[in-house]
Amino acid sequence: MKSPYEVLGVPSTATAAEMQSAYRKLAKKLHPDLNPGDKAAEEKFKEVAAAYDLLGDADKRKRFDAGEIDASGAERPPRQNYYRDYAGGPAEHPYADASGYADFMDGDDMFADLLRRSQKARANRPGDDRHYHLEIGFADSIVGATRRITLPDGATLDVKIPPGLVSGQTIRLKGKGAPGFGTGGPGDALIEVEVLPDTRFARDGDDITIELPISLSEAVFGGCVRVPTATGAVTMAVPKGSNTGTTLRLKGKGAPKRGGGFGDQFVKLKVVLPSPPDPELEAFVSGWEKGKSFNPREEG
Amino acid sequence: MAMTREEFLKSSGLTVKVLELWIEQEWLAPEKTPSGLLFGEIDIARARLIGELQSGIGANEAGIDVILHLMDQLHGMRRALAELRREMGKAAV
Repeated sequence: MKSPYEVLGVPSTATAAEMQSAYRKLAKKLHPDLNPGDKAAEEKFKEVAAAYDLLGDADKRKRFDAGEIDASGAERPPRQNYYRDYAGGPAEHPYADASGYADFMDGDDMFADLLRRSQKARANRPGDDRHYHLEIGFADSIVGATRRITLPDGATLDVKIPPGLVSGQTIRLKGKGAPGFGTGGPGDALIEVEVLPDTRFARDGDDITIELPISLSEAVFGGCVRVPTATGAVTMAVPKGSNTGTTLRLKGKGAPKRGGGFGDQFVKLKVVLPSPPDPELEAFVSGWEKGKSFNPREEG
Repeated sequence: MAMTREEFLKSSGLTVKVLELWIEQEWLAPEKTPSGLLFGEIDIARARLIGELQSGIGANEAGIDVILHLMDQLHGMRRALAELRREMGKAAV
């Protein structure tokens, strides 16, 4: 590896002013933006910039000369983009300037014709698509909703969220992107919708699953309980002798299906004993012989 | 993606005064919208380039004016060349 002095081409006795002048001379020659067609310029410029970073700073240079730090410590984080990466690309930008070759477009030869055609194609280019991100709650993802988003330019956009949307789905609003050029129409707005996780509901395809706590007496005797669904709470009959893990189905309470109709909501019951423990229940269980001999871990 | 003036100032590290000066000199040309200026990544890269021309290379105001103008013409020609090459490739098929 070359020493930073060698990279800049200066003796180790060079003054700060000599160092700066050496750097400027190299930077003028090697800066990637001053060499838009030279892919190797970036690497060479990085090396020079790193060397000057080290030696151009009096304190760092002293420590380097004393052997406290080495040249690798001066390496700059890799820079991602130079101006040339944007200005030279195919995307339209406000700094584009055709005056450097405008005179070539006047002729009637094939070359002028090609230039004029490409200029025209670019002049009537459709606008770019714009991307947005939107978060909605679980219930809205099932029944649908309308959300208003504010664009960077202050305008607003009403986004209709279709019922049954899945997290990560993208909604395309035609013509709501960046304005086009000439006769090219505007681009589209692409809105990626994220469904926020819900503490109660989970989605399984077109179906919805939920865990519902019930009391011991509801489990033993059955009864009517209120169950939340995406469209509001409904009453559901718990059959006599239900158990933890018993799954009941609420037909048509799931997400809308693609071909019409709805999925179901599956309600998984969970028997919950009173807390703190109830002395009356304890007294009953201690005198309940059959309960003591029943072993749910033994396969019948 | 598009940035507001505040986001651009934060991201570029420029002061308000320098930004206003550079826009006035037409070194930067952010999009003007009803709710204020809108900047892109190209503006960040351009601002960084101007900074390097100033402090790194030591170009003065007039120098930067000329460099930017010629550089944009050069990029315009490079784009035209790239498009020509594409058109000629199409014609050859």
